[in-house]
Amino acid sequence: MASHGLTYEGCNFLRQRLVLSALSGKRVKIKNIRSKDDEPGLRDFEANFIRLLDKLTNGSTIEINQTGTVLVYQPGLLYGGTVEHDCNPQRSIGYYLEALLMLGPFMKSPLKATLRGVTNDLTDPTVDLLKSTALPVMKKFGIDGEGFDIKVVKRGMAPGGGGEVVFTCPVRKTVRPVQLTDPGKIKRIRGVAYSVRVSPQMGNRIVESARGILNQFLPDIYIYTDHMKGANSGKSPGFGLTLVAETLNGYFLSAEMLSTPQGQGDPILPEDLGRNCAKLLLEEIYRGGCVDSSNQSLALLLMTLGQQDVSKVLLGPLSPYTIEFLRHIRDFFQIMFKIEVQKPLEDERKGGDKVLMTCVGVGYSNISKTLK
Amino acid sequence: MDGKVKKQKQHQQKHSGPKAEKKKLKKQNGSTEEDERKRNPKAFAVQSAVRMAKTFHRAQDIKTKKHHVPVVDRTPLEPPPIVIVVVGPPKVGKSTLIRCLIKNFTRQKLTDICGPVTIVSGKKRRLTFMECNNDINSMIDLAKVADLVLMLIDASFGFEMETFEFLNICQVHGFPRIMGVLTHLDAFKNNKTLRKTKKNLKHRFWTEVYQGAKLFYLSGMVYGEYQNQEVKNLGRFISVMKFRPLVWQTSHPYILADRIEDLTDPERLRTDPKCDRTVSLYGYLRGTHLKNKGQVHIPGVGDFQMSDANFLPDPCPLPGTQKKRALNEKERLLYAPMAGVGGVVYDKDAVYIDLPANHVKQLQEEVRPTTELVQSLIETHVTLDAKMAASKVSLFSGSAGLDPTDISEQSGVQEGLREIHVWDAHTQTQRRKVVFTGLEEEEDDVSGSSSDEDDDGSDQENQEEEDDLSTFLKEVRDKSEKATKGSTPPVKKRKLEEMKGEEEVIAEAPAFADSEDELERGEADSEGEGEAERAGDSGHCSKESEEDSDDEEDGDEDDESMEEEIGADDSDEEEEQGTFKWKEGLQQKASAAFLRHQEAAPNLRKLVYGSVVEAEDSEEEEEELGGLFRVNRPQKSKKVQADALDCSHFNPDISHNWELEEMLNSIRDCFVTGQWEEGQDAATLLKEDEELYGDFEDLETGKVHKGTTGEQDQAEKSESDEDETDDEDQQVKMDDEEVQKNKRLEKKRRLKERFDTEYDDGDATYFDDLKEEMQKQAELNRAEFEDMDDESRVQYEGFRPGMYVRLEISSLPCEFVTNFDPHYPVIIGGLGTSEGNVGYLQMRLKKHRWYERILKTRDPLILSLGWRRFQTIPLYHIEDHNGRHRLLKYTPQHMHCGASIWGPITPQGTGFLAVQSVSGVKANFRIAATGVVLDLDKSVTIVKKLKLIGYPYKIFQNTCFIKGMFNTVLEVAKFEGASIRTVSGVRGQIKKALSTPPGAFRATFEDRLLMSDIVFLRSWYPVSIPQLYNPVTSLLLPVGQKDSWSGMRTVGQLKHDLGVRNKPSIDSLYKPITRAPRHFNPLHIPKELQKALPFKSKPKLLQPKGKVPRDLKRASVIREPHERKVAELLRALSTVHHYKKKVAQRAHHAKHKEFLQQKEKDEEAKMKRMKDARKKLYRIMGQKDQKKQRSSLKGTPQDD
Repeated sequence: MASHGLTYEGCNFLRQRLVLSALSGKRVKIKNIRSKDDEPGLRDFEANFIRLLDKLTNGSTIEINQTGTVLVYQPGLLYGGTVEHDCNPQRSIGYYLEALLMLGPFMKSPLKATLRGVTNDLTDPTVDLLKSTALPVMKKFGIDGEGFDIKVVKRGMAPGGGGEVVFTCPVRKTVRPVQLTDPGKIKRIRGVAYSVRVSPQMGNRIVESARGILNQFLPDIYIYTDHMKGANSGKSPGFGLTLVAETLNGYFLSAEMLSTPQGQGDPILPEDLGRNCAKLLLEEIYRGGCVDSSNQSLALLLMTLGQQDVSKVLLGPLSPYTIEFLRHIRDFFQIMFKIEVQKPLEDERKGGDKVLMTCVGVGYSNISKTLK
Repeated sequence: MDGKVKKQKQHQQKHSGPKAEKKKLKKQNGSTEEDERKRNPKAFAVQSAVRMAKTFHRAQDIKTKKHHVPVVDRTPLEPPPIVIVVVGPPKVGKSTLIRCLIKNFTRQKLTDICGPVTIVSGKKRRLTFMECNNDINSMIDLAKVADLVLMLIDASFGFEMETFEFLNICQVHGFPRIMGVLTHLDAFKNNKTLRKTKKNLKHRFWTEVYQGAKLFYLSGMVYGEYQNQEVKNLGRFISVMKFRPLVWQTSHPYILADRIEDLTDPERLRTDPKCDRTVSLYGYLRGTHLKNKGQVHIPGVGDFQMSDANFLPDPCPLPGTQKKRALNEKERLLYAPMAGVGGVVYDKDAVYIDLPANHVKQLQEEVRPTTELVQSLIETHVTLDAKMAASKVSLFSGSAGLDPTDISEQSGVQEGLREIHVWDAHTQTQRRKVVFTGLEEEEDDVSGSSSDEDDDGSDQENQEEEDDLSTFLKEVRDKSEKATKGSTPPVKKRKLEEMKGEEEVIAEAPAFADSEDELERGEADSEGEGEAERAGDSGHCSKESEEDSDDEEDGDEDDESMEEEIGADDSDEEEEQGTFKWKEGLQQKASAAFLRHQEAAPNLRKLVYGSVVEAEDSEEEEEELGGLFRVNRPQKSKKVQADALDCSHFNPDISHNWELEEMLNSIRDCFVTGQWEEGQDAATLLKEDEELYGDFEDLETGKVHKGTTGEQDQAEKSESDEDETDDEDQQVKMDDEEVQKNKRLEKKRRLKERFDTEYDDGDATYFDDLKEEMQKQAELNRAEFEDMDDESRVQYEGFRPGMYVRLEISSLPCEFVTNFDPHYPVIIGGLGTSEGNVGYLQMRLKKHRWYERILKTRDPLILSLGWRRFQTIPLYHIEDHNGRHRLLKYTPQHMHCGASIWGPITPQGTGFLAVQSVSGVKANFRIAATGVVLDLDKSVTIVKKLKLIGYPYKIFQNTCFIKGMFNTVLEVAKFEGASIRTVSGVRGQIKKALSTPPGAFRATFEDRLLMSDIVFLRSWYPVSIPQLYNPVTSLLLPVGQKDSWSGMRTVGQLKHDLGVRNKPSIDSLYKPITRAPRHFNPLHIPKELQKALPFKSKPKLLQPKGKVPRDLKRASVIREPHERKVAELLRALSTVHHYKKKVAQRAHHAKHKEFLQQKEKDEEAKMKRMKDARKKLYRIMGQKDQKKQRSSLKGTPQDD
């Protein structure tokens, strides 16, 4: 009587598939993982992610074949509790944290996850970015309360790592439907310019250049400098900038930029980094919407898992990752989104096309939570 | 008393005079509390603050208790029929009641009630009657789907066990509305007993349901039916009843199947009669939205995957919206395919219609279009609004066909080609008709007129109807023409602009939609029903791709070619047009909806959810060479994507250069520093404020200040007046006025909002806010997909409750079909996410107080949980104070306990009930236990106590060597440090294993042990739950034996059936207790200690008295005879003396008594004398005083 499974090919979107599988209780089989590659099979960071998922769940079975090209995952119950995990330094903690953000509210007991590894790198959204954008998005869905936080204890830059992040998340039985249709105007821009194992002056140089661009639009800009020293500074040098624009209605758009990791590629000047990052933020603002591009899938997931009511959210253009996520949602939950493109009016100067996503939730309720 | 009782004077009501007037006044004004308060304020004044606080608290408590948690109202606009389940023991009159009610509502007689019967009972209400037979399986299943339960009770007999069982089932699965109906009341000859019985039954019923629950009395039969008036009343009650949503029902979709068709290939059936069947089930969808391809459970059969679902036109539609009080004859519909009545019943390729005599004429006209429509729906998944279709068909049936102008207008709005899927009755195939719409209206007219002629030619039979029809059509036409003229041109212009912009974006748009669609369709058809969903999808995409083709703007040539095609197809059209005439009425709505659709570029949807063509392309990618080698092509884009980097970053578009000023300008308004919308601009807001508060008169100077907007408005108005003269700018003017109007409306709304916030929301409580929020959500839910066509709506929100749906399930066991009995309900219950899985469940359980035995752990039990009925093996346990779950052998008698089972995952908080067997009828109450699911967990934490016993074999001081508890050194090693105890309560600890004998160990105790002591180790042993999940497959049993399902037997039953009797272990037998008397050794205290002890504690060692030595003994005296005589005499003398003394004393005593009496008398006399003397004295003194006073008064002058 076990529920029928779903079959996919290739290692891309592995996290989405496993997370949705864990939430929906459907078995998932992933074939041909890098089957044509010189090194076939799962990479270390993926195996590491699966191990993390195993720590969070109770009663899940994972089967991987000899070469690692086929993965079968039968999800168990999301257990939560206190978890410590050493993340693989090939990917940053953001890679793991994105999945945890999706699973966190639906555990049996409140989650307190301590993740160790690379906090900031170029490929994944950094911890700072998730902290400043993903948490407010989840708060809109009623996932809030004491102990809902991401805390950067130690910062570890790309190749070496050595950072530590504590993510705590309360448990919810249901998620409430939302109507996020009016982003409102941007009232302030905040940011963090961080640097480790380099001159503390780097931060200030980044701030200067970033302000130079953003001041054309808004006077209310404040960028904190965060220089971590000693034991809290990880193993590799580096610096970076995360910018967050807050709108009147409490939505957050963000952009970030990092220095190239030590020993990989050309070094980047902090001034250039600041400028480029500011431009990235402008790009993000141009895309617009109520949820920024890296959290689109999170918002869509929470909409899907809401009550059987209509939820709406206005997004910027859909990223390829989100598009694949939508397909996966249809596979796992049989939910299709109504996608409407909102063109900007002629004389409006509010950036590019927006996409209004509408769906009816599945009426998901947290079946892990104990009734007393 | 005496016979003639005096008659009391009757009350005379006053008709005039002050009293009458007063009364009249009172009647007019009504008795108002306010009045009394005014008249008599003291009576309502605060007497005691404490008391007032108390009353206030109480009032608030009562008020708050009435609140329910507000829920979002998710009832659909057109709700499914209400399920009325008629239950009761056999021979109580269930079928008769249903028959009577049906007759009451529809004026039709139904002889055999089998399966659900759906009727239209009013303008807004439909009812589905279902009879529940006397089988606990049916009772359980129907209690889960019932909205209203009519509980029939044989009053001449009283309550029967079934009634209470059903009530208890209802209590567990959410309490539907329950109405009692007493029958067989004519059995009572005596009126008084009748009244008494009624009252008794009513009160018992009330305790079970709720105080004041409605109980109906059907007083007797007339010609085998209940009395008309009573049935009518009952019907009225049913049709106004309101229902509270039940949790399980509102969170799960379900269908009470009213029709079942076996679709299995007959050839397969012939070769293998036992093969799994493909079955389609029909019924109204209830509860919540149903997703296609979801998992369902059919109680009594099992879990299945839905292979396909689609919706059909309502077989029993609600009447239209005409305003009238009653339904007319043809709207009183009845639908009961299982009973072989009503509506249209279709096979794969034929349609059977069963009609009552009075409906024949009217239905004949309907039949053709309806069936064609339906058939086309089933097969093609064309977009259509089923409801509208159903309502329009009767109006347009066979009338003057489709008005081509309408279609052209419709498509004119859409701009381009449209395909319409049409069912061709002759060829039995699905055709997609292309309707061309040119850009020029003249063409439309031409084609329109030509097809008009065609229509006239073809539809001659229906001339009678044409009259009113034509007028109606004219109206519709006029309206739509206006709409096209008015609104289309600007839209068109804008659209073209948009398309230019889009062209670059839409790279994957197919070159020409038509050919591709043809291909798709062919594929879809050949793929058969399994692929039906996808085919539906393709239908969608094709529409989009048409629009794409439009975008390319090579329309003109294509258009012409299309024209020709249409010309060729004309002959087909003649028949086809009749079929889509029903679409005419939809025009306005559809065109409006479509317009909106188009404005939002639908290609994103295609991009995301893809189309069939793409998917198939990718499948074809790998081709084999000679059946052995595979061509290894360079990986295509999709393959690359499959193994690409998994990253959620959205890399920025390189094309934007943020150095440029215009780029910067493009986002300027995103910031608060940018330009605001007109409504929210600070300047306008200020102005508005001025308007609001601007008009004021300065009292000192007498100057009147006025807001400025009025003038401005006027100025604008005059401007617009000028504009009016210009004919060219008419359009602009129209827009202008519109804008002005909108502005005014907006302003009004804002003002009202502000007013509301100021004055209304003051005392809004949290509850009110919550309620309002829910209300808003409900409105949004309704509005969001309202004007979409059903086909696409279904894709977004799933099938909505109220739709008549057809589910196809492949691989149903053949017994379901061969042993089908319409008297048993077939329920298709949808399962939520992960409810299809099986796992461990922890529940709270209580043995039912009416069940006479307690339940034993590991005895199989049949549970009804969620939709399911299944047998499982529960373990009972109870939670200790430290959170440990300790196994219980039996359920407690009157207490809750925990139960853990292996069963289907069901959300926490779901109630369940347990029975020990579902077969047969028993005299006793059958429901063994009830409870609720608490927790779902993949691991079990139940433990049972295990005592390991060992014996000391060597005792040192406090250390001891113990053997017999373990068998190996390893076992001991595992328990090192564990605490152990002797029977007498001496505690100790396991220290280390000894080498010999194996399993022995060294332990230390707090005291020295005796060799006779027994040492034990208390431990907890985890128990595993047996994984038995055995669904009750009662529906698969042969007809007539459906209530005889039996699953796994308990050990007790097995032993009973097999006649096995266990020999009890000898040790467990009771033997007479023989206790040997115990001898205790005397207490010995050492001499030293004895010395040291204080005297008190010293043992009192009394030596037994030895013989007194002779010298210490006294000698006895022996008198002489003389001495003896003397002693005798003395004794006699003293006796005499004593006597004398006694007599004398007595005499003296009497004398003294007399004396005392005398003395008392004297005393009394003396007192009396003295009193008299005193009296005399006082009187004299008083007289003297008076005299003195008088004399003094005389002496002094009287001045006051």
